[in-house]
Amino acid sequence: MDMEALIVQLGRLQETALSELREISATRDLAHWRVQYLGKKSELNALSKQMGSLGQEERPLFGERVNEVRKALEEAYAQRQTALAAAEQALRLAQETIDITLPGRAVCKGAIHPISRVIQEIEDIFLGMGFSIVDGPEVETDHYNFELLNLPKDHPARDMQDTFYLSDELLLRTHTSPMQVRTMERMEGHIPIKVIVPGRVYRRDEDDATHSHQFTQIEGLVVGEGIRMSDLKGTLEAFAKALFGPEQRVRLRPSYFPFTEPSAEVDLLCVHCHGEGCRVCKGTGWIEILGAGMVHPRVLDMSGYDSNRYSGFAFGMGPERIAMLRYGISDIRLLYQNDLRFLAQFARA
Amino acid sequence: MKVSYQWLSDYVNLADVSPQALADKLTSAGLAVDAVEPRNKGVSGVVVGEIVSAEQHPNADRLRVCMVDAGTGEQLQIVCGAPNARAGLRVPVALPGATLPGGVQIRRTKLRGVESNGMLCSAAEIGLETRLLPSGQTTGLFVLPTETPIGEDIVKVLCLDDVVLDIDLTPNRSDCFSIRGLVHEVAAILRCTHSFPESVEAPTGTGEAPIAIDLATELCPRYETQVLDGIQQVASPLWMQMRLVAMGIRTIDLVVDVTNYVMLEWGQPLHAFDADSIAQSRIVVRQARDGEALVTLDGQQRMLTRDMIVISDPEKAIGLAGVMGGENSEITSSTRRIAIESARFDGSSVRRTGQRLGLRSEAQQRFEKGIDPAAVTPALARATALLVELAGATPIGPAVAVQQKESATGLRQVPFVPERCREALGFAISNDEIENIFHALGFAVRSQDTPWLVEVPSRRPDVTLTADLYEEIARLHGYDNIPSTTTVLPVTPGMRDRRQAMLARARVLLVDMGLYEVRTYALTSPDALAPLAASYQPIPLLLPMSDERRVLRTHLLPSLTEVAVHNLAHQVPGGAIFEIGKSYLTTNLPLREQPREREVIAMLWFGESEGTLYEKTRRYDFYDAKGVLDRLLAVFGTDVSYVRSSMPWLHPGRSADIVADGETIGVIGELHPDTAAQFGVARAVYAELDVALLLATYQGEIQAKGLPKFPGSRRDIAIVVDRATLVGDLLTTARHSLEASGLLQGIGVFDVYAGEGVPDGKKSVAISMFFQDAERTLTDDEIEQLVKTATEALRVDHDARLRS
Ligand SMILES: [Zn+2]
Repeated sequence: MDMEALIVQLGRLQETALSELREISATRDLAHWRVQYLGKKSELNALSKQMGSLGQEERPLFGERVNEVRKALEEAYAQRQTALAAAEQALRLAQETIDITLPGRAVCKGAIHPISRVIQEIEDIFLGMGFSIVDGPEVETDHYNFELLNLPKDHPARDMQDTFYLSDELLLRTHTSPMQVRTMERMEGHIPIKVIVPGRVYRRDEDDATHSHQFTQIEGLVVGEGIRMSDLKGTLEAFAKALFGPEQRVRLRPSYFPFTEPSAEVDLLCVHCHGEGCRVCKGTGWIEILGAGMVHPRVLDMSGYDSNRYSGFAFGMGPERIAMLRYGISDIRLLYQNDLRFLAQFARA
Repeated sequence: MKVSYQWLSDYVNLADVSPQALADKLTSAGLAVDAVEPRNKGVSGVVVGEIVSAEQHPNADRLRVCMVDAGTGEQLQIVCGAPNARAGLRVPVALPGATLPGGVQIRRTKLRGVESNGMLCSAAEIGLETRLLPSGQTTGLFVLPTETPIGEDIVKVLCLDDVVLDIDLTPNRSDCFSIRGLVHEVAAILRCTHSFPESVEAPTGTGEAPIAIDLATELCPRYETQVLDGIQQVASPLWMQMRLVAMGIRTIDLVVDVTNYVMLEWGQPLHAFDADSIAQSRIVVRQARDGEALVTLDGQQRMLTRDMIVISDPEKAIGLAGVMGGENSEITSSTRRIAIESARFDGSSVRRTGQRLGLRSEAQQRFEKGIDPAAVTPALARATALLVELAGATPIGPAVAVQQKESATGLRQVPFVPERCREALGFAISNDEIENIFHALGFAVRSQDTPWLVEVPSRRPDVTLTADLYEEIARLHGYDNIPSTTTVLPVTPGMRDRRQAMLARARVLLVDMGLYEVRTYALTSPDALAPLAASYQPIPLLLPMSDERRVLRTHLLPSLTEVAVHNLAHQVPGGAIFEIGKSYLTTNLPLREQPREREVIAMLWFGESEGTLYEKTRRYDFYDAKGVLDRLLAVFGTDVSYVRSSMPWLHPGRSADIVADGETIGVIGELHPDTAAQFGVARAVYAELDVALLLATYQGEIQAKGLPKFPGSRRDIAIVVDRATLVGDLLTTARHSLEASGLLQGIGVFDVYAGEGVPDGKKSVAISMFFQDAERTLTDDEIEQLVKTATEALRVDHDARLRS
């Protein structure tokens, strides 16, 4: 055979092979083509063996041509294979498409109670300020709940009707304030004292939209040397900003509690109108949120802290009220009804 | 405390201080003003008129046609329906164009064909509180005194241009329960002078006092009385009536009105009674005798006790001191001479007496809060003067005053160091300013050495300590002027203790596992606790408010089932809830000491799970609860075993005590069907962990090990045992049998099967074991030997056969 004829044959072979390759539409059919056109028994191999029949000077030329064809076929094959594989994967992925709007498999619901939520947040704020948390008994003695807090029997501020008594001397605590005394007694004269006391308290109130015979309080107590009333204001201001935002302000108004002197009601800028005046704040721009004051010298003395040397401040607040303001709850009974449809709203972190 | 702005301005110049401004200043100084209420509820164009004639309306039985002189220059024809309309009465006349409360506009109109040029008004129609008026004035036309000038604006006549401040007084400020106290307070706030007198000159009668007084109890430190003759039973002047009404006091008759008026003005309650009812002209103030009875002014027979103070004569009680007079000394139309009593009575005694008898008068409240000894004498003088002036009375003899010897009180002197005050409050204030404030309060600075001695008048019993003076300085300087500072204290770390941290973690963990936190009432009923048949008797309240909340719970289960019942009744098909709460336990009733407060994490699964695409709705079961507990206990590092429980309120086959180190720290189980029915839930699973006991299982800090150097091997076996055999027991047996080898690193169950291929009454249990040695790789032979050891132990203990 002469080289011309062989080269023509090579060309035809390449054309046929490529055209057949284009016809192939599935990767699984590619193997057959590969065997046919690039395998040991392929026509290309057979043709390349014809090289021996050519003249010495023709052989390199022919060999080069054979290699060109082989390379072209291999490249085409690789390309085709990539393209087909990609197309097939795309098809498969398309078939695997799911409805991404269906719910996920982990469907645990559950929520922290809004009161606990508020208490935890307040705890964290005071922990950050170096306070620790203490807990105390809910069944208290008259002595701790009243007398050691400067509320002797027959004190006008002590209304028997407000208190659930269990015996002449035992009662359900009406406030967390007895823990002021218990904490000071436990600390045995050591300073500083910086504690908050969250806990349940009880009053003989008829349950209605704004009253609950059981509710929670958070008491705060700081005792040391040189504690000033301005420190109370500074502490509460830092707390208010942490709880309600940096634009918060506090306002102290003179008030009366038997166990603090001087005493103050503490107002915050209304969380709804930010001081403009609205229905929530009865147009004043302020909402009452805390009672506070300097620990009464008699309470200090009765608890083993010489009031001539030590001073301190105390405050108390109601998580229910804060929760109601914060979450827009208008009826306190919702907090104790525990309807899961209500509680589910607090699933969000 | 309601206070008349006009009454205050009798004594303090309020020309530049509007009622609202005054309210704001009072509030900033600690006297919170809840409301500022104009007396005028919308009256304009109403004047005083006289009914000249009143004829029957031609077309209506109940109407009269009146001719009225309202000072307009001509007589007005006005149709009126009031039954008391008659010629000669002076009444409020709403002229055409007038406005009445509620926005009512008065126009010329025709009533049943007769022209009517205005309206004759009742008390209610001009916005007066009828409940505070004498009985004759509450219906029909409001009758004005005959000397009231015709044509005068009714707003002026009835002082409707006054404004009432409603002050929410704190219990310590008893001094502000009077115009006198408030005048002093307002003057101090405004730093201005006032004209309220220290004392009152009253006309005294000639001759000797007609009455003697014995103070036979220490509960009455001082008693004064003045006898008056010739009282004319006339109505109180309108201005006095209107001031009483403005301050919420009912007007009755001149004598009672005067005593109330002086009480409001001076804060000193007075009582008037028939002087001739006193036998032997001798008043004895003493404690009541047990079994003594008195018919009080309201006609009720009262049984008295020893701790009550009575006013009496040598023969009988005539009044309950500070609470209510006796019927036998009541002033009637035939009374000739009256006695006015001005006295101090022990507040606690008055309070108890009032509580015992269910009475709570204005006078009583003032005694309870404490009254100023310095007001007793001037108040009596003031009342005497008013009765002489308004009722034409004549004093008989001088006022008689008797006082307990030891109750003569000197003025309090309170030590005060300005520097300490500045330190305590945290702001700069000059000594001069401090002195100004004391001066404004009427406190005298007696000594300017250190400490100052500040003399506090008796009308301020709340100021006894140096700290009380600090408060006076702070509130009159202005709480707004207190800066915000930082405490100067040693640094303290703020952190939760282990219990608090554990509970905070438990709360988050449980919520993340799908439980809702609830907060329930600690008070419940014995009935609610009954299904538990608990060993503790619940602690009862002495004075419960309702049957449902009258004992302290001894268990949390009833609280949680109450939540379940509520939810099941409100379209919630089920759920998982928990509470971190307390039960209150004592073995000693009646209660003598504080009970044990047992804190638990209590959980309840009730009704059906919500159901999802991936898992059908189903009833919650034991294993839902156990899964949660396992996770919770794993987080706290507590190893427990579950031992069949004998709680009678739990399903005997589906309940377990949770035991750690031999101590039962909790319980888990499906409610016994009977218990569930009693609680009104179809089926529910309850679990609880005792917080203190759980805390005691704390294993200390984590001690980490390095990673193993040699690979381990897993072997699975399937054994056939009796169906009643507990898997937990199988694992324990296997674990024990391999304990000595020290090579078993893990063991667990991965399949339990009963049915085809397994003999009746048997079950197949598949167990996997993981073996590993820290020093080398175990050989197959060694592992086979270990498996054999376990299998043999299982055979011996549980008759377990390897499943072929
Ligand atoms: Zn607002």
